[in-house]
Amino acid sequence: MEAITAKKPEKQKPKPKSGRFFKIALQQRYLYLMSLPFVIWVFVFSYLPLWGWTMAFQNFRPGRSFFDQTWVGFDHFIALFSDDRFFLALRNTLAMSFMGLIAGFTVPIILAILINEVRQQVFKRFVQTVSYLPHFVSWVVVAGIVTKMLSTENGAVNDLLMFLGVIDTPYQFMAKGNWFWSIVTAADVWKESGWNAIIYLAAIAGIGPELYEAAKVDGASRIQQIWHVTIPGIRTTIIVLLIMSIGHLVSIGFEKQFLLSNNLVREYAEVLDLYALNYGLGMGRFSYGTAINMFNSVVSILLLFIANGTFKRITKESIM
Amino acid sequence: MMKTKKFTGVLLSATMLVGLLAACSGGNNEPSPGTNGGESGDNGQPLTMSFFSADPSPNWAGMQDEIGKLLTERTGVVLDAEYAVGDPVQKIALIAASGEYPDLISAKQDVAKLVDVGAMLDLTDLIEEHAPNIKALFGDYMKRLRYSEDDHAIYVIPTYAAVDSQNFNAGGGFGLQHRVVKELGFPEIRTVEDFENAIRTYLEKNPTDESGNKNIGLTLNSDDWRMYISVTNPAFFTTGGSDDGEFYIDHETMEVTYHFRRPEEKEYFRWLNHMNATGLLDPETFVQKHDQYNAKIASGRVLGLIDQDWNYGDGENALKAEGKFDQTYGHYPVTMSEEYLETSFWPTGFMSGSGVGISVDNPDPVRAIKFLDYLASEEGQILLNWGVEGKHYNVVDGKRVIPADVNNRKVNEVANFQRETGIGLYTNIGAHYGDGVEDSTGNFYTTSFPEQLIEDYNDAEKEVLDAYGATLWKDLFPSEDNFPIKPWGAAWNIPIPGDHEVSVLDTRLRDITWKRIPEAILAKPEEFDAIWDAYMEELEKNGVERAEKGRQEFVEARVALWND
Repeated sequence: MEAITAKKPEKQKPKPKSGRFFKIALQQRYLYLMSLPFVIWVFVFSYLPLWGWTMAFQNFRPGRSFFDQTWVGFDHFIALFSDDRFFLALRNTLAMSFMGLIAGFTVPIILAILINEVRQQVFKRFVQTVSYLPHFVSWVVVAGIVTKMLSTENGAVNDLLMFLGVIDTPYQFMAKGNWFWSIVTAADVWKESGWNAIIYLAAIAGIGPELYEAAKVDGASRIQQIWHVTIPGIRTTIIVLLIMSIGHLVSIGFEKQFLLSNNLVREYAEVLDLYALNYGLGMGRFSYGTAINMFNSVVSILLLFIANGTFKRITKESIM
Repeated sequence: MMKTKKFTGVLLSATMLVGLLAACSGGNNEPSPGTNGGESGDNGQPLTMSFFSADPSPNWAGMQDEIGKLLTERTGVVLDAEYAVGDPVQKIALIAASGEYPDLISAKQDVAKLVDVGAMLDLTDLIEEHAPNIKALFGDYMKRLRYSEDDHAIYVIPTYAAVDSQNFNAGGGFGLQHRVVKELGFPEIRTVEDFENAIRTYLEKNPTDESGNKNIGLTLNSDDWRMYISVTNPAFFTTGGSDDGEFYIDHETMEVTYHFRRPEEKEYFRWLNHMNATGLLDPETFVQKHDQYNAKIASGRVLGLIDQDWNYGDGENALKAEGKFDQTYGHYPVTMSEEYLETSFWPTGFMSGSGVGISVDNPDPVRAIKFLDYLASEEGQILLNWGVEGKHYNVVDGKRVIPADVNNRKVNEVANFQRETGIGLYTNIGAHYGDGVEDSTGNFYTTSFPEQLIEDYNDAEKEVLDAYGATLWKDLFPSEDNFPIKPWGAAWNIPIPGDHEVSVLDTRLRDITWKRIPEAILAKPEEFDAIWDAYMEELEKNGVERAEKGRQEFVEARVALWND
């Protein structure tokens, strides 16, 4: 089949490019029609809202028409870039997302490989189910659990450390700014690892058993099988997901930081989204909030292109 | 080939996931407010109005309580209420931005945001035509309802401030468990030193409670905005300053100062630092959340508090429900030294300010104002405060009396009682008279008047008060007569536009303060001065002087608006 369809155009005389496009479009009109709703969907939800970016260049007042707004040029961006707190928030955001990226990548992959290596079916299912259950627990509850675990009063972590003789007096984990990033990352790993492992498990399941058999015949050990069969088998998945999550580096949300922070660690907890909430939306400064958001989007796109380009060059794999 | 296939697979699964999410989120469209139709006037059909309040009301039962049902019967209005959870400021900003306003809104100080977007209806004419009771209630104070110098419209009916209120109840000051003062033979609790000594002595004698858990000397509530109530506002009260939000206003010159810049207050925080250094302050003070704080209080181990009773009410009510009255708290007028008077009762005059307004989306403003007018009527107020005659109170010889069994439940099972009867749930929805005002029959409108309050006290409380030669907690505090009335009411209820420079500066100063104050309190005592100096410097660098000046303009405008 493939061979025939591939040959067909070669036989004919090459036509002007545009004409060929329309001909193919006409041939495939049903396909185009089928994709039309999705194109509209993307346009409405992803591109139309971009119109709102104009707010960043106005002193936006809700309830007035577009033409009654006062235009202020780059004032909000100037205010933004001359604010120390913004850079603090940027630092915290990047620090926590990088930590989250590294931990949130390695742990699920390792977990998926480990679960895959378990041969006892019942146990395997059990571990998998238990590990992804925390994903369904809301952050409010998780924050409560974390605070309680790290509490100086009968907190499990402090009790354990005291029992082991590592420390003599309870340690105030939640009051130390330099612990905050790690606590957030650890909580995130606990909550999401199992869930994120699912996609890798699915990818692993797609690797043909004949590859393992061939490896076994060649005398590969379990470790070697993992290294030479499993990991190369899911490499594409890993890289695609990695590039996509690099695109989300700046927008890590604020739930965990908001719920886990307190005044003592605020310097380490305020992320860009929280900053936008406190100094933008929360005060009714919609334009300022939009300016922050625009900055976020631009950085995200830049990061995405850089990551994509890098991987394209190094591993010849990319999403674009 | 293999590669592209894999990638398509991933892409496909991602798309399906998104599709799934989209499918899940469809279908639960909230019924949009204002679709409930209904014409002007009472046509016998109850009209449902959506209502948003910036204050939480955990016992709200959707008007299915006894009072709620009666209200619907008499006014034909059902409130579909939403109470803010967490920080209401953000929720109100969202409402303002969405353009879909609830029919009735109680936005507290943030009403400015809603007025800015034109969400609130001017009530002046509505009150004039349809609300005789509201007019009678406010009388000469109607001037204080006006929004601003430039805009004399009435956007809210003040429902938090009570009219002509006299204070009988003291809910603030410094709190000490009754068992502490009892064991120490009722020492005088007048200065922070007395307070500290009481805690220390008791703690030395009783480091643990009966079941061996550690007693806690003093804990504060620092969760989000509660920081103001329990950590920073007491600095006013203990140093002879009147609480004007984050600012101190000199009564004579009307000069505004960011209150942390007063040297007296530095000493207050130095004392807290000392409490921490000597181990009397709970090390979890600045880490715990509101619910953990209340859970701690409910465990009965916390000896001292610096807080308002409504802020630790859940914890204390749990103690009451268990009959541990000895572990509930008394209120003491503690100051830095004897030269200061405790200023909790500095009078403001009728405060106006926060209250309920009608939004432009309201389908039937006339019915809404009639509903609010009913709440302000004599019949309405007696219903909201006292409940249903024959059920929650009886009239004996022309006096309203609450039967003992009802009162017992009211005091000791607060949550359940409120949920069933609705008494207390509607107070902040309607304009009302304050304590100590008599109705046409010579009874008090509210249930808190001296005799009733004393009846509510438990035995432990009565014993302690007796020992101090007082009948009410209020008796221990300097009364209103000691202070001149503030012509601006209180600075914290002067509304300020959201994008005004003062608001932006306030947020920044707040962030600095909330970081620095805990830092200073938890520092080693010898480092306190250095941290405080750095804090002051940071404030100046971030425009504290501009904030003071801007605020001063607002105060002056308020004085002009209310007194012209």
